[in-house]
Amino acid sequence: MSAAAPRRIRLTPWAGLAALAAVPFIDALLPGGLRLEDPMSEVFIYAILALGLNVLTGFTGLLNLGVAAFAAIGAYAFAIATCEIYPFQLGFWPALGVTVAAGAIAGFALGAPTLRVRGDYLAIVTLGFGEIVKDVLVNLDTITKGTQGINPLPPPSFLGTPLEARGQYWLLLAFVTVTFVGVRALERSRVGRAWISIREDELASRAMGIRPDHAKMLAFATCAALAALAGALMVSRLSSSGEPGNYDFQVSILALCIIIVGGIGSVRGTLVGAIVMVGMNSIVLVKLSELVGSPDAPGAALDEAQGLAKVGVFLRTWAQNVLVNPTNWKFLLFGLALVLMMVFRPQGILPPRPLHEAPPEGGEEGA
Amino acid sequence: MTAILEARDVTMRFGGLVANERVSLSVRPGEIFAVIGPNGAGKTTLFNAITGIYEPTEGEVLFEGRPIRREWGMSDRVKGLAVGLVSAAVAVLALNASALWQGAIVDRYVYGEAFPWGEALDSVPRTLRESGFWLTWFAAAVGFAVARLGFGAIWKAQRRTPDLVARAGVARTFQNIRLFGEMNLVENVLVGMDQHFRSGYWSCLLRPPGFWRERERMRRRAFDLLKFVDLADNAADAARSLPYGHQRRLEIARALATRPRLILLDEPAAGMNPAESADLMKLIRRIRESGVTVVLIEHDMKVVMGISDRIAVLQYGRKIAEGTPDEIRNDPVCIAAYLGTEDLG
Repeated sequence: MSAAAPRRIRLTPWAGLAALAAVPFIDALLPGGLRLEDPMSEVFIYAILALGLNVLTGFTGLLNLGVAAFAAIGAYAFAIATCEIYPFQLGFWPALGVTVAAGAIAGFALGAPTLRVRGDYLAIVTLGFGEIVKDVLVNLDTITKGTQGINPLPPPSFLGTPLEARGQYWLLLAFVTVTFVGVRALERSRVGRAWISIREDELASRAMGIRPDHAKMLAFATCAALAALAGALMVSRLSSSGEPGNYDFQVSILALCIIIVGGIGSVRGTLVGAIVMVGMNSIVLVKLSELVGSPDAPGAALDEAQGLAKVGVFLRTWAQNVLVNPTNWKFLLFGLALVLMMVFRPQGILPPRPLHEAPPEGGEEGA
Repeated sequence: MTAILEARDVTMRFGGLVANERVSLSVRPGEIFAVIGPNGAGKTTLFNAITGIYEPTEGEVLFEGRPIRREWGMSDRVKGLAVGLVSAAVAVLALNASALWQGAIVDRYVYGEAFPWGEALDSVPRTLRESGFWLTWFAAAVGFAVARLGFGAIWKAQRRTPDLVARAGVARTFQNIRLFGEMNLVENVLVGMDQHFRSGYWSCLLRPPGFWRERERMRRRAFDLLKFVDLADNAADAARSLPYGHQRRLEIARALATRPRLILLDEPAAGMNPAESADLMKLIRRIRESGVTVVLIEHDMKVVMGISDRIAVLQYGRKIAEGTPDEIRNDPVCIAAYLGTEDLG
């Protein structure tokens, strides 16, 4: 029996955090720079959204296809609370508090009537919820300004100072870190055990005295509060709530893809999933299409050599804009990534580790 | 001495199928009581009716002289009222959202000027009055009625649930083992201990010192329970990696973790070899010695006859005999039930 040192400090998460915190500096050293702050901020926001979804779908096993609706509720709560066209005009931080509370209430509101709905049926209900929220936001235009969206909104700030791209990057990194630590703390406590036991076998967990209604409501509220936080951070960064159509099924599915690719039920996996999926979308593909779009791209050179017949121009434009432009391959690549994942690693990149609670130290000798 | 568990004329009907017909049992505190019978005799159904997975079609189950059942108390009345009122408010707000917003905010707010909060609040009743009866009082009434009736219906369907029975002090294991396969052994036991934790959601999230003390105490207790069923060496393994016989013992440890006064074991010796079932018999005796009454379903006659104080025999959903192991062994009705009579042969 190996003598396990009490409370080992793991280096990997701290190293990862340090590396992420150093990204803006490294980026500044590179010639030209990759300007990673903005796309990485998007990664972080999706990471928070996916961490919330992971609580409900990953831990508790309740498939939620409408997590974007919670993000929308958070986004609009933040927008209404802060925008100068309304009298509330809260600052960034108080508004975040309002947002999280609004999200949790929305989670309770959806959770309470659906406690007895399971599996596929719950997926349909949440899907419907997502669509309803979107439509309500469009039609309630007295309050939400319909498709115009509410703007301008205050940017993320810290100690009263509005933050630029780099500051926002660090603030969002801090939010992700805190969310990560919190979700992990919940996972490794009686609350998380109750959630996971419900996912594994609801009847057995009931027979052990777990109250599923209670646990599911907590999961719904946690998921919704985190999704609302993500929505608020998103709109604060963009300075506009955008139109309700921005919070559609695609967002929910992207969040779901993140947790599936990362490893469903795994907190670390969710972060990796967010970096892979959103990173591919808003960093790799964008940089690639910038490359293709530049005049010295190979496509343009080829065209010059073959003369400039009208058909050639048309074909070239079409090829450059549609075929070659990697952002148009986004969904194909998404699909491909999911298919490859399902075939070669269905448990995700970093599946949850089964062993959380080590036996108490010294317990073995005490026998 | 009053019975710790009493089933009174329990009938379980599923459509036309009668799984249990007027089964009555009376289990005394501190005894080991076995329920035996051929496959399909309704033994597991009886367990399910006792533990709240099914609600008996007729008859009742008493634990320590009382039915385990939620009573419509003061807190339920308050909760029902609150749910109704909140829904009524939501209904009214939802139907009048635009008008209320227009009247309270849009009409009053001028950019750069102080906002008259008092006036805005005053506008709310005025706007509602203008909305008329249907959009206000009627909507509130419908919202209240729907929510209150829904609350009542759910409450009624939840009067006797497995979690309530478990919390009252009746634990069980399952015939088809239902462990949490992805969790390790300690965690499986900790799930059983959930009701005895004092730290709630916020404590689990923020982890004050009390959380850590409780966590350590509970883990130690879980580990002690694993020692009790002789699984301490595997404490960190995933439950699904355990051999079958070990899984059955882990289920017992998990059930004991709820600190029951009565434990129902559904075929604990199934799939065990003779050495394992001999150990199991010792374990069951130790459970009884620790003050827990044991009721078990078992097919292994060596186990049943070896440890039971009394035995009940079920056949085709009816109880056909009850008595000490010696009485059952010599009962012609039971012999017929097990070996068959000539018309079956």
